[in-house]
Amino acid sequence: MTAVMQPAVERPDVQEMRRLVAAGKRNQLIFAMTGLACTIFAVLVLLAAFLDLLFDGLPRLSWEFMTNFPSRRATEAGILSAWVGSAMVMLVTMLAAVPIGVGAAVYLEEYAKKNWVTDLIEINVTNLAGVPSIVYGLLALGLFVYQFGFGESVLTAGLTLALLILPIVIVSSREALRAVPGHIREAAYAMGATRWQMISDHLLPYSRGGILTGIILGMAEAIGQTAPIITIGALTFIAFLPPAPITGEAPFVNFAWLWSEFTVLPIQMYNWVSRPDKAFQLNAAAAGVILLAMTLVMNGLAIYLRYQVRKKIKW
Amino acid sequence: MVSIDLAVGGGATAGAEAPRPPLKAEARGLDFMYGDFKALKAIDMPIHQNKVTALIGPSGCGKSTFLRCFNRMHDLYPNTRYSGEIRLLPDDVNILAKSVDPIEVRMRIGMVFQKPNPFPKSIYENVAYGLRVRGVRSKAVLDEKVEEALRGAALWNEAKDRLNDLAFEMSGGQQQRLCIARALATDPELLLFDEPTSALDPIATASIEELMTELSARVTILVVTHNMQQAARVSDYTAYMYLGELIEFGETDQIFIKPKRKETEDYITGRFG
Amino acid sequence: MATGEHSSRVYDQELESIRSRVLQMGGLVESQVRMAIDCFEAGDLAAADRVIQSDRRVNELEVELDRAVNNVIARRQPTAGDLRMIMGVTKIITDLERSGDESTKIARAAKWVHEKQISMRLPRIPDIRISGDIASGMLRRSLDSFARLDVAAAAPIIRDDAGVDERFRAILRQLITFMMEDPRTISASIDLIWVAKAIERIGDHAKNIAEHVIFISAGMDVRHATPDEVDRVTAQA
Repeated sequence: MTAVMQPAVERPDVQEMRRLVAAGKRNQLIFAMTGLACTIFAVLVLLAAFLDLLFDGLPRLSWEFMTNFPSRRATEAGILSAWVGSAMVMLVTMLAAVPIGVGAAVYLEEYAKKNWVTDLIEINVTNLAGVPSIVYGLLALGLFVYQFGFGESVLTAGLTLALLILPIVIVSSREALRAVPGHIREAAYAMGATRWQMISDHLLPYSRGGILTGIILGMAEAIGQTAPIITIGALTFIAFLPPAPITGEAPFVNFAWLWSEFTVLPIQMYNWVSRPDKAFQLNAAAAGVILLAMTLVMNGLAIYLRYQVRKKIKW
Repeated sequence: MVSIDLAVGGGATAGAEAPRPPLKAEARGLDFMYGDFKALKAIDMPIHQNKVTALIGPSGCGKSTFLRCFNRMHDLYPNTRYSGEIRLLPDDVNILAKSVDPIEVRMRIGMVFQKPNPFPKSIYENVAYGLRVRGVRSKAVLDEKVEEALRGAALWNEAKDRLNDLAFEMSGGQQQRLCIARALATDPELLLFDEPTSALDPIATASIEELMTELSARVTILVVTHNMQQAARVSDYTAYMYLGELIEFGETDQIFIKPKRKETEDYITGRFG
Repeated sequence: MATGEHSSRVYDQELESIRSRVLQMGGLVESQVRMAIDCFEAGDLAAADRVIQSDRRVNELEVELDRAVNNVIARRQPTAGDLRMIMGVTKIITDLERSGDESTKIARAAKWVHEKQISMRLPRIPDIRISGDIASGMLRRSLDSFARLDVAAAAPIIRDDAGVDERFRAILRQLITFMMEDPRTISASIDLIWVAKAIERIGDHAKNIAEHVIFISAGMDVRHATPDEVDRVTAQA
């Protein structure tokens, strides 16, 4: 509204202004209502999907469900091997993605000279985030399974997923590092710190929150990946657990579990859903509830961390 | 017979000249380039020991650039080049030489920045950081030096009961004094202040200025300020810079009562441009 | 001295206003001095009254100017040349105001002497007229040197004061002789001594003004220096 201000002497001008204001308010209301309607619609659809899942899956959840192996009998089937497999794969993913991702971010942000090589690397890193996940599976099949001979194991799956989430970790770590203002770095240098001291005493501690958030989001992404895991050959019916990493006898830690065959939650769900027996669909729904819960918890943790960090550090 | 009291300037009178105070540092023929741009041109300037030297001049005259040469801050950024010397006394070493490690220079010369920039750590850890970087581990030594530094910055009474609180919880003036304490903790030979009070209110400014005067008894101070009255209040020597050159350098009284160069007079009296 | 305009026009106007009011005051005092000496010689009582009246305006100007100077100091924090101008002006005002007072004394003496018609017994001292002219000339030249901020014009004035002082001593000697010869002239002679003293004081004030001009213009404080030292020092300016 661009009504020109005139001295409010004559009645008609004021009325014109009022008319324009009223029209503006009407438009505003229409827009707000439309937006609200779209939001409600989206939320309702999502809610419906969740509720359907919960309705089907929740009754099936029980201690036995969590501790049983899959079985041909639907009522006796459980997700033990699936969630243990997921946990182990996530462990490998984290141990691989975090050092490489954070290290790469620190290198790109602090050490690399700003030239065309660095630019090229940066562009490629962000592009990798858009590569379809099944392509990662194919890459892993060729490289890890056959070339390196890791086989269809927890190790392969973990490394594959690590590659998949690497762009997320690198990008969010870089954002977190960039959020530390230049004057803090200058202050650290002015105190006589070397570059590494500046990074380890200041940069990493202050960007901890952002980096952790990135890692958690990456993990939440990884836990639901199905296509690459299938491609590298995760088995769909596993009635055994990989060997325990920690045993009662020396040496207390062993690495046999890395080479073991395995399955993960999404694959177990996929397996059950493809069976004709309706009871298995309920199992799949229950497994889905577990998966959903894990994802929501991780995202919630990320949000909580971000909030905590923002309270402590105000640039 | 009463001899002439030459208030300012003028030539020799009967009697010996007062001995010049000793120098802490000296810039000789200092040039500085940002890429192709020559930001500093052939600067020759003495920095007297245990005195406050102020750098004044309009925006873009190079005073901050000159200040940052002293602790090799420009080394952190690409495309910068020094030529000429800054000699640090008494060991008479050229701190701009490539063979001299900038980290070592920064351990001897401290800096306080324009916007207070304490680390997001506790007050204690802020002040102790410089000492930790130098490998001091003993808690007793750290405690003692932290207290000494906070006293030196006139912050001890306000901080002693909350050493473990975050530095961010302090007011702007207190944060700046914390930054001063942080720089003092390592017993620097030369303290650089880059417009230290331009982000502070008048009362905080006054307390920092008083602190600078007190500190100059122990440390040599070089301060950049765009506030001429501050330079007049606080400094013993003043240097006027314009477009990367040193136009005039002299005792503050002389510069502010009878400057030798017309350009200096114009700037100081506000007849600029 | 700095030329060119301040970034603040109003500041420039304030300084200019002070300068021109000082010159105005100076002109007033200058004419006071001349008129006082003339009326003393000529016995013009009406002129004497005018001299006394004009002192009121001089005092008003002194108060106005002091206030203006205080304002500039408080609001502008003058430095360098502006600072020297302001400090010099405060001192010049004082010297001018005192010169005005001295002229008033001369005028009052003129009235007193001629009213009592003692002129018959008044010793003829041509030196009084001469030193009066010199002193008023010194005042005029010192104000000129202020107007132009001309050190070369100010320096000789300092030297001339010695001449005025010397003439005062000569007048004193002559009057003492008169008084010793004829005790009936004592009362009139004493009045003449006051007048001669006033003239000598005016010469001193003119010299002071010249010293202040040298300070304003060249930043050198030459009070209490010998004329030779002054010449040497101002040659360097």
